Amino acid sequence: MSKVAIVGTGQTKFSKDDCDVEKLLFESASNCIQSTNNCDSNNIDGVLVSTNNNLKYLGAILSETIGIQPKISHSIEHLCSSGTNAIISAYSYISSGLSDIMLVSGVESATNPGQVLRWDKSRGNFEHPIYWASMLTKSHKRKFQTTEEELAIVSAKNHKHAMDNPFAYSNEPKTISEVMNSKQITDDLRILDCSRSCSGSSSILLASEEKAKAISDQPIWITGIGQKTTSASFTKNILEEIKSTRIAANSAYKMAKIESKNIDVAEVHDAFSVCELMAISELGIAPNGKSGEFVRDLFNTENRMINPRGGLIGAGHPLGATGISQTIEITNQLQGKSNKRQISNVKTGLIHNMSAAGTSSSIMVLEN
Amino acid sequence: MTFFEDQLGEGVFQICYCKNCNNTIWPSKETCHICHNKTDWKKSRNIGKIIEFSKREFMYFGLIEIDDGIRVLGDISSTSTPKIDQTVRMSVSFNSKPNYSFIVENN
Repeated sequence: MSKVAIVGTGQTKFSKDDCDVEKLLFESASNCIQSTNNCDSNNIDGVLVSTNNNLKYLGAILSETIGIQPKISHSIEHLCSSGTNAIISAYSYISSGLSDIMLVSGVESATNPGQVLRWDKSRGNFEHPIYWASMLTKSHKRKFQTTEEELAIVSAKNHKHAMDNPFAYSNEPKTISEVMNSKQITDDLRILDCSRSCSGSSSILLASEEKAKAISDQPIWITGIGQKTTSASFTKNILEEIKSTRIAANSAYKMAKIESKNIDVAEVHDAFSVCELMAISELGIAPNGKSGEFVRDLFNTENRMINPRGGLIGAGHPLGATGISQTIEITNQLQGKSNKRQISNVKTGLIHNMSAAGTSSSIMVLEN
Repeated sequence: MTFFEDQLGEGVFQICYCKNCNNTIWPSKETCHICHNKTDWKKSRNIGKIIEFSKREFMYFGLIEIDDGIRVLGDISSTSTPKIDQTVRMSVSFNSKPNYSFIVENN
């Protein structure tokens, strides 16, 4: 397989308001193309759109609105990890030689239908993600003696990081106490433990090794990819684990020829506070059963290693765009362009995204 | 509506299984995904055990395991805090989506 690089990025600000999907797509794609060194749009031979929106033919619509006629254009949907899967699909097109330069654009409106998986009849009347999140949280507390304060630290940390992210839906800080005293949704979940569905769009440009160096002074290489789907039904999960993440991480590490200890910075899927604790453990970044202590230490030492842009909780969660924004953050970190969020000496970064209570996970390793 | 949903509407949780390879099929479907023979049905015993639970406002809800390891989310009626592995009795209905309700036995 030939090498594939990230050579351009563009985003819109995330918002709680419903916004026009086609306009958002155009805005992030336009910002993305402008971020490159004179990339002629006509050289983009593939356009992928990741979204949970029911609008049709968005790959072709985006192509027309940016004035190109690519070989490849279509949409990709996989609930929360749609964006990551779209990037991996674009990687595959390029590494196989079917494409040279691919534009991947994710988009969502705040009221999108991607939050509820109606097919999953095992959820009964408890369709909304807050119910599976309550089960995972209660189970994590039971197995690992995770405290309410440790869960609140995840949210306080990510809100703090989001203050320095100009694309986050909110830049308001939240203290641990504010999180712990925020509106109670269930006995095991507060409103500030939850990410918020948003409108927003993110775009990324990928290129083959041959094309990358002409388009970008600092191409960032995708060196590891891992994916795993264990089911679609939430109730087939083992509550204390995210098996799909563990398997996908091992595949990505093997492909990149690294170990978890080599990860300098990671964007992980924190749809709910407990998800971050579970993810960093399954990724091998935090010792098993010690992820609460690990996050507390990050917070106390102002170490931004996990979710420097604020994660889903701090930045917002426009499902189809989330995985692309996560990837842009790690790209910027590896390029040294993260401004106040910048972590020093970053060589290797990781993106973790997952869908439907972790029944499917997608992971990428990036290196500069 | 599917047969499974129709039956929920009648208050019956039907377990889908394959006579040929003796596997329980959940979610239910007309054809076994292993041997591709037509599947069959048997009524649930309507008994389950609590795997995990939480509470929203005044209502307990949780993940319950019923026949053959099938797990569903439902509301739990109990006069005291439920316990893991506690036995519950199931009743079901269907109103645009399934509803699974559980009562703690020997409440």
